[in-house]
Amino acid sequence: MASKIQISNGTRTYRNSRIVMWACFVISLLLIAFAYVDVGTISIGSNNYNLSLIRLNKAIAYTIAILGLQVVIGYTGQIALGQSFFFGTGAYISAWLIADHSWPFLVTLLIVIPSCFIIGMVLGLPALRIRGLYLALLTFGLAAVFPSIVKLDKLYTYTGGAGGKLTSNYKFIAPAWLPFDEVAQALQKLPILGGFFGDGPLSNREESRLWKFILFCVIAGICFWLVYNLIHSRPGRAMRAIRDNETSAAVSGINLAITKTLSFGVASALGGVGGAIYVAEVGIASPDDFSSLVAIYLIVGLVVGGVGTLPGAVLGGLIYALVPDWASSTQSISFVPQRWLQGPTGSLILGLLLIILTLFLPGGMVTGWRKLKNRLKPTEVRAS
Amino acid sequence: MDLFLQRVVDAITNGSTYALIAVAMVLIFKATTLINFAQGEQAMLGAFAVLQLWNWGIPMWGAVIIGMLFSGILAAGLERAFIRKFDPADHLPLVIITLGLFLVINAVAAIIWRFDPQSFPQLFPSGNAFTYNNVRLSWYSIFAFGSCVLVLFVLQTLLTRTKIGLAFRAVSSNLESSRLSGIKIGPTLQFGWALAAAAGTLGASIYAANPVLQIEPSMMLRALIFSVTAAALGGLDSLWGALIGGLTIGFVQSVVVQYIPFIPNEMSLSAAVVVLLIVLTLRPSGVLGTRAVERV
Repeated sequence: MASKIQISNGTRTYRNSRIVMWACFVISLLLIAFAYVDVGTISIGSNNYNLSLIRLNKAIAYTIAILGLQVVIGYTGQIALGQSFFFGTGAYISAWLIADHSWPFLVTLLIVIPSCFIIGMVLGLPALRIRGLYLALLTFGLAAVFPSIVKLDKLYTYTGGAGGKLTSNYKFIAPAWLPFDEVAQALQKLPILGGFFGDGPLSNREESRLWKFILFCVIAGICFWLVYNLIHSRPGRAMRAIRDNETSAAVSGINLAITKTLSFGVASALGGVGGAIYVAEVGIASPDDFSSLVAIYLIVGLVVGGVGTLPGAVLGGLIYALVPDWASSTQSISFVPQRWLQGPTGSLILGLLLIILTLFLPGGMVTGWRKLKNRLKPTEVRAS
Repeated sequence: MDLFLQRVVDAITNGSTYALIAVAMVLIFKATTLINFAQGEQAMLGAFAVLQLWNWGIPMWGAVIIGMLFSGILAAGLERAFIRKFDPADHLPLVIITLGLFLVINAVAAIIWRFDPQSFPQLFPSGNAFTYNNVRLSWYSIFAFGSCVLVLFVLQTLLTRTKIGLAFRAVSSNLESSRLSGIKIGPTLQFGWALAAAAGTLGASIYAANPVLQIEPSMMLRALIFSVTAAALGGLDSLWGALIGGLTIGFVQSVVVQYIPFIPNEMSLSAAVVVLLIVLTLRPSGVLGTRAVERV
């Protein structure tokens, strides 16, 4: 590097550069939204890969659930595998309120968050006694049980049984003050790049899809902001102390019981929000979307992104949403027999990713990226 | 009364198969203080191998034995490749690795043998050993229970009467001291994994040979929860505890749940998880397990 730009932490330039970076991030997110609202496929070889906002919205839902796992596993060190339970709980509460009481989506979150928080705290209570592997066992059992609870006959009126609960009566309608059409048309007039943004004004469906994406992004942003503040505050430090050494944390005066249940509560609330978003996107809450396999996939997302890193949750959510889907839409690759492409290839890839990353890059992709970045950076700027 | 007896018979039948998978978990837990979430899938893969061998024309019990050998060797390889390099005291990476194995094995089995349920060869004579009024005791039940007890006896003998069994017990009781006294830790643990996988394969084969069940890649998902609960209930490091735990879980599933009116039938899985919760909260060492003493 010929000219080094040195920006040290804490100065005004540093802060401004951060603001510029975040603004670029938000703008690129919006550009992606406008570009993929209409067509959503990229093709490699003879295979088409879906990249529509539907996938990305699902990715946001998973991201928020994985963010919850980051809190409880990544920062508190409790091996809780049952995130799909809370993901499902949030999804079903939201679906029930939307379908049977025709609440708007955002208002259901006001019920979903506190109820998942409380359920998580209560179910986290045994974790005060049960530790390590035993907790992993129990929470895995919890995840396995969820579909059968939902399918109970007694709960049929609330959950819709095995068929699931439809929420298609609620439509996301973009508020009129948002200048979607104008922006879309302005983007289409851009030289060279304009072709990526489709043509003509947006249809109603496209507008509502776009609105959903932006809304979910904002919710996710709020979640990230809250979790970031949580882990950099006193309870967050207490959580990390528990992760690093429970005994010494207790000796330094940390209340293990409160901190642990708090982290379980936060994790479950985030799982619930993720579930609510998932249902809002998919339009139906069905039992098999919240099986124990989902719990494992969420763990894959956590590990692949990086345990104990916040950006890892985004990466994990994207991987969970895209890899199985892309694997199943891959119809032909030369040298790979057809049989290996038609089965549950996504599951295979995710499992292999889990094993390979744990073996060779225990911090996940985000940590790997940070290491790489630190190596490339000049030494003066390394303190970040 | 007939119904009750019939349910008890069912309980013993189911319990024995859960116990066999639970034994596998116990063996691995004894060796490495690790709960292998992929145990059920390894057993399922073994059972599929048995089915494949049988389809190729190998006699049934020959197929079972080759299948057990196959999954034992596979498990020894998995232990060497993925488990050994991790610190046994740090649980998270190990749990993650076994979850990864779970996904991979499940996917590979589904790719090779497809999702469709297939019927498994009859390992035991079909029909009923005897009937009393309406209570039917099938040969399958007798043999399932019998082979469970037999496996436990064999394992017990292996662990107490052979040199490698002694090494295994030494490692499971104190890893550091046994390393100092010249026991090769790695191969011993590998032996434990192989033994566990072989027992699991037998268990899955017997489970799939149940005349009312068929073999499919996801068949062990439910059984895994029951077996884990059985293992925890009996005490995660006790062989005979696995049998007690398995029978208890079978009893809860087939008898208790049927007689409590406000618990619907499909809740047997939830009942198992509730049992797991109670056991882990009140007596983490299970019925027969040794209590863990933590050193600060």
